[in-house]
Amino acid sequence: MHKLKRFVRDLGLKILRACGSTIIDAETGQNLGRAFLFPWRGKILVIGLDAPVRPVFRPQTRLTYWKQDLGFTVHPPPDFPRCGQDS
Amino acid sequence: MLGWWRQFADPAHILIVAGGRREDFAGIAHGQKIFIEDPRLHTVDHQREFQSYTGVFRGVSAWLAGRDHTHVSFCEYDHVPLSADFNAQQLARLAAENADVIGCQVRRVDGTNHPHYLYHHSNPEFHRFWEKITRRGDPEVVLSMFGSGSFWTRAAFDAVAAGTEPFRIYLEIYLPTLAHHLGFRVRDLPDQNPFVHVSPDLEAEMETARRSGAWAVHPVKKRWAREAAAAGH
Repeated sequence: MHKLKRFVRDLGLKILRACGSTIIDAETGQNLGRAFLFPWRGKILVIGLDAPVRPVFRPQTRLTYWKQDLGFTVHPPPDFPRCGQDS
Repeated sequence: MLGWWRQFADPAHILIVAGGRREDFAGIAHGQKIFIEDPRLHTVDHQREFQSYTGVFRGVSAWLAGRDHTHVSFCEYDHVPLSADFNAQQLARLAAENADVIGCQVRRVDGTNHPHYLYHHSNPEFHRFWEKITRRGDPEVVLSMFGSGSFWTRAAFDAVAAGTEPFRIYLEIYLPTLAHHLGFRVRDLPDQNPFVHVSPDLEAEMETARRSGAWAVHPVKKRWAREAAAAGH
């Protein structure tokens, strides 16, 4: 039963990813994978994306009141210096 | 399994931490071994049940007290070393990175769609806890690190072992985030990430992985199950 559920889930994700869009990092241009974005009750469902992304509104070179772009980006790899009593 | 590990480490430096059945523990033919009785270890759905290594870390830290070991190479049973210089490579990388903790798939996940982060973020106490204990300027940072294997300085390991979980937090979030907020430097092993992940058993890929530069590989489970069956356990 568990295997069947898993198979159906994986197949569903494959189909949704195929129907979805390639997600490009809004800051670096890196390909973050594919996802199906679905507006639902005032939210956006992000289905099938593996990368840990943050939503960001894109800067606009042209002022528009009717449209803004929402993109995604990832944190840079953690590179925090040692700090506190052990530094 | 011990035979395999003896190729990569001095047996006197291997500590077996067991959390299974008492009778299996008694049958382990190795001097350095401890038994951990911690229900947080025995989860089925590890992420949803917030599996924890706090009991394991405490047990190991207590065992280390009075001994002069300087580092801890922490490996689950299915995280299998491949490189003859396994520990030397980890020590060298720790030094090169000037880090206190190195592990696979170390990511910053706060504010993201990372499922483990979102699951914890639903608890209003989650961020408050880090705010209370942090020694850093930004209490918002939450890290994730793959749980099967990591390498620690003794100071970082002991400090994290001494921490108290205020509520249940999944180990892949708790361990790296606590180390970070206690002031330790946590770094990723990007070149090792391709060999350490959630996947079907990788026993058949071990030699290919070793030739491709893997220090260790995860998961390898069937090999030990077969060995145990052959030994009549």
